[in-house]
Amino acid sequence: MRDFSYLRAGSVEEALSAAAMPATMLLAGGTTLIDLAKCGVTEPERVVDITHLKGLDTIRIDAEGAFIGALAKMSHVAADAAVQSAFPAVSESLWQAASAQIRNMATIGGNLLQRTRCAYFRDPATFPACNKRTPGSGCSALEGVNRGHAVLGGSDTCIAIYPGDLAIALVAFDAIVHLGDRKIAVDDFFLLPGTTPDKEHDLQPGEMITAITIPASAAARRSTYLKVRDRQSYEFAAASAAVGIEFETDGKTIKDVRVALGGVATKPWRARTVEEALKGKALQTETVKTASRLAVEGAVAHGANHYKIELASRVIERAILKMGALA
Amino acid sequence: MTNRTTIQLEINGQTQALEVEPRVTLLDALRDHLQLTGTKKGCDQGQCGACTVHVDGERVLSCLTLAAQAEGRKITTVEGLSGPGGELHPVQAAFLEHDAFQCGYCTPGQIMSAVACIREGHAGSDDEIREYMSGNLCRCGAYPHIVEAIREAAKVMS
Amino acid sequence: MTIVETRSKRGDASDGALGGRLSRVDGPAKITGEATYGLEYHPEGMVYAVLVQSTIASGRVRSIDATAAEAAPGVLLVMTPENALPIKSATDWLETPPSEAPYEPLAREVTFSGQHVAAVIAGTFEQATAAAALLKITYDETKAITSLDDPEAGIGIPIDQMTVEWGDAEAALATAPVRIEGEYRTPREYNVPIEPHGLIAEWKGDTLTVWEPSQWIDGMARTYAEWFGLPFENVRLVSPYIGGGFGSKALPLEHSAVAINAARMLGRPVKLAVTRPQTFTAFGGRPATRQTIALGATREGKLLSIVHRSANETSMKDIFVEPLGSVTSLMYETPNLSSRQNVVRVNTVKPGALRAPGENPSAFGIECAIDELAYKVGIDPLEIRLLNYAEQDPHAKKPWSTRRLREAYAAGAEAFGWSKRHPQPRSMREGNQLIGYGVAAGTYPVRRTPGEALVRILSDGTVEVASSSIDMGQGTYTILAQTAAEAIGVPVDAVRVKLGDSALPRAPVAGGSQLANLMTGAVHKAALAARDELIGLAINDPNSPFRNLQANTLVVEGGQIASPRDAGSGIAIAEVMQRIGRDRIEALRDTLPENLRNEKDHFRNFTTITTMRSPTEGDYSLHSWCVHFVEVRVDEDFGTVRVARMVSALDSGRLYNPKLAESQWKGGIIMGIGQALLEEGTIDSRHGRVMNNNLGDYLVPTNSDIPDLKVISVGIPDTNASVLGGKAVGELAIVGVAPAIANAVFHATGKRIRDMPITLEKLI
Repeated sequence: MRDFSYLRAGSVEEALSAAAMPATMLLAGGTTLIDLAKCGVTEPERVVDITHLKGLDTIRIDAEGAFIGALAKMSHVAADAAVQSAFPAVSESLWQAASAQIRNMATIGGNLLQRTRCAYFRDPATFPACNKRTPGSGCSALEGVNRGHAVLGGSDTCIAIYPGDLAIALVAFDAIVHLGDRKIAVDDFFLLPGTTPDKEHDLQPGEMITAITIPASAAARRSTYLKVRDRQSYEFAAASAAVGIEFETDGKTIKDVRVALGGVATKPWRARTVEEALKGKALQTETVKTASRLAVEGAVAHGANHYKIELASRVIERAILKMGALA
Repeated sequence: MTNRTTIQLEINGQTQALEVEPRVTLLDALRDHLQLTGTKKGCDQGQCGACTVHVDGERVLSCLTLAAQAEGRKITTVEGLSGPGGELHPVQAAFLEHDAFQCGYCTPGQIMSAVACIREGHAGSDDEIREYMSGNLCRCGAYPHIVEAIREAAKVMS
Repeated sequence: MTIVETRSKRGDASDGALGGRLSRVDGPAKITGEATYGLEYHPEGMVYAVLVQSTIASGRVRSIDATAAEAAPGVLLVMTPENALPIKSATDWLETPPSEAPYEPLAREVTFSGQHVAAVIAGTFEQATAAAALLKITYDETKAITSLDDPEAGIGIPIDQMTVEWGDAEAALATAPVRIEGEYRTPREYNVPIEPHGLIAEWKGDTLTVWEPSQWIDGMARTYAEWFGLPFENVRLVSPYIGGGFGSKALPLEHSAVAINAARMLGRPVKLAVTRPQTFTAFGGRPATRQTIALGATREGKLLSIVHRSANETSMKDIFVEPLGSVTSLMYETPNLSSRQNVVRVNTVKPGALRAPGENPSAFGIECAIDELAYKVGIDPLEIRLLNYAEQDPHAKKPWSTRRLREAYAAGAEAFGWSKRHPQPRSMREGNQLIGYGVAAGTYPVRRTPGEALVRILSDGTVEVASSSIDMGQGTYTILAQTAAEAIGVPVDAVRVKLGDSALPRAPVAGGSQLANLMTGAVHKAALAARDELIGLAINDPNSPFRNLQANTLVVEGGQIASPRDAGSGIAIAEVMQRIGRDRIEALRDTLPENLRNEKDHFRNFTTITTMRSPTEGDYSLHSWCVHFVEVRVDEDFGTVRVARMVSALDSGRLYNPKLAESQWKGGIIMGIGQALLEEGTIDSRHGRVMNNNLGDYLVPTNSDIPDLKVISVGIPDTNASVLGGKAVGELAIVGVAPAIANAVFHATGKRIRDMPITLEKLI
């Protein structure tokens, strides 16, 4: 890790003005920043510690929805009874992520910004070619070890996966990222790699995430996060789904349904084609199976990650059936 | 560019001053600078849990925490877990009784994690203990005994 | 059938006796953080070394530009082959004489990705780490052979010593009524002890002190002495606690030479901690293996022939053999067998020992194959094992000393409820979960090397045991205390055991599951000698309170000496010692045979493995045995396999401390679960590099992956195997776990997975 200077921000304004300086990074839980600094992927000259800022860790749930301060810890949000009741998928996505220790460190804002686990990205000394780190240098993963890489949203410059869990639930329920006064839908906040995989978020210099809000919905209230992985715990998803359903008053016709995918795409992946195929239909196993397959239309495998295409649709299917009490 | 700063850390109830570079992690500050080697370095990248300590009462990984960041917080390490007369914490006693370790290297991290696991209310069932202890890898394979120890210690502590 | 029931700790003095369930005596130090491991010493003036590893798999280092690194803050030395002080080559553990060429721990010629090519030493760890990243290294790269499957790898080199043949296996196979054949594969697997490797080295004149986790103090100290041209006595290696090794901390490695040399060059103590990613190539784990097994049998399932062809990968410069036929030729009776093995050179670090090298992958092959045969002929997998039960060692043609495998099958099947199994694959389910039952057996040989121990009775009545043997969690401290306490007749808490220091009496390698048996034997011998001397003095010393008794002998019990007639009204050892004016009674004993009891052979015995006796030397064939019964749950849609429960019945002979032996068994089983379901070094075939060189990507089991495990001891004391009746414990229990799981997965799903690990994409 190269040496850096350490500043402790006394206010959001101070943090923002520091963040506008070159080679400066904001430090929250540190679980990504310190890790990547040790790998030599990030080399900040100045680190601005925002963990001592007051008032940015609010968790407030009301009839409108959830307001969660950027510095709220993952564990605190996961354990919040109102979150568990109004947004079960959000709570589940949080407690199934990482480990208890990391969830006590990592903040909600920082969690959204966590970076890919692509082994080529994480080893600059051995693999100078990485378009995400160094635009134009190439991609080592396309023809490399890519069992864990994306089948959706990739480009010929990058197939690195977005590794997080929370953002999957957030994108399913139309959450908004607050960058101070600027607000942006989570789905728009995350960018596809395209030809610029180095640009992962719509986050301008001098901006920081201050909060997220999630609008209340019946679908969010009846929701779940299903995560499939090789290891039972403490691992990133092989495939995951955040799903929420609202039924018509007849109790079986789908009024609203939300589906998002994790562990298979380059950004949190809203599966709107699945949602459209199900809305207005009665919940039945075959209908759900057929609709779930739409999520992976256009998916591109690169060899070892081929299984994700089949797995992703099965995870969606199971999650929807579970919410409809058919599984 | 080397900028050393003097920081004050409150560790196990005692305030200690040390002069470190900002990039020094809490783990290295404990082990190399303060010679509190009970906290272990297993991976140094947030993947094993051996470096688990409590900061303001919550379990965290000291390998991904800067020492400077911890200034002003209350830090507890395994050395601070026993009572003033050296009497074992119920979790420590249960680990010994249930043989919840072999080589002992992941053990301080397991114990710090276990104390927090019980305090958080995550020791309600064996499966819950397993899930909430999964951030602490044990290669000797003491997991079933760790679960037994936590189950028993939780009874004592309640 | 005798089942030694799991006995709960009594909480009285019997726990301290040999065979009692005493809690670890080193436990309090470990749970309070007081136990000091190798990298936790702080000699005055210590500086920090960080290794730099190659980023290519094959070629030469063309240049190392250290300008920026040398100019970085705090840097004291950038070590490369060009400026390192010369080191001599050393004798290896087989006593092969050293080469005349110098030993170069930093490579000029690169034969694998992740090979050490330079080191940076600086005032702090952070400075050394940052400066290491500033080295600019260029290479002349050549094409690498990256794995066993590389088309350029070829079929490898035959290892004739591995060939085992009897009868005419090929002919018998050709005419057998039932034939099956399959290829079984295991990937590169890694030891990953939670304590990474490393050391602190300090020179004072021409004496060297090294603090380092070590499974073999004397063997490593010998190498260090030879490397640096020192008399053996001038090297002190200290290793009181070892944070796990599993085979990986027994032999001297390149990084240790680098650190010791740096300390010599700088005149300051140097600490070198191998980083977690670097541990994946600073030493080798289990090599990738493949085995083709063809079984010929009668329609009833009786074996007629086994034809076994196998290969493991090795490095470009060394030959490492993972004996893949070790269980194949031992487990079952067959009139015809042919087993041959090759090793294949690839650009990898030299593979090493990982828990039950040989037996582990060997059992994966044969124990899956026999299961396949059971389904083919339509009989129960447990029954086919009994049908082909080997009543004697089929290879050595000697009787087993003890083989309580039949008892293990019975006890395990009963406790597991094997009779509830529906024979058809895919016939048991619960919702989305397919349920499968599987069984497989395992074995591990009893290895024997003489040991040495010092036992000292002190004037306060306490006892000291001293040995350079080590405790990495197997329980050496505890069982040696129990041994001495019982032999002398003192409470176990009066015994202090000192281990892990080359200044103490010698010990052979803590590997091959031999240490407990040989060290209890040595301590028992020394303790009896010390007790006898104490009794002799108590009878004969003019100042002894027993002098007037005119007794022929005395008894020692509970720390009291008494006349056999007056047992219970004795006099404390401390009081007798004071009366006779002795501050200590000391006995140093070894268990070397008479013909090896000279200085040269004594040294050889403890610093090489040349005196280790094979399991079939003598009248018997000596082995531990086990069987595992597994229930898996496979999610039909996701392909995820979870072990729901396991029952294992094991024959390790007599257990010196069942509480600790059970822990070791469970540890082996858990590592086996990881091997079956999770663990695999993934290699980028373009670069020959291990891509998952960390604990987030090389997955070992977490607490959540492990269900309740039941272990049942079916062993009986086997004094042909060891002085006090124990057999192998530590490496035994992993053997057979992976095939039991693979067999259960077949039963659950109808899919036969022959390459480990059984990951979800193989089942969906």
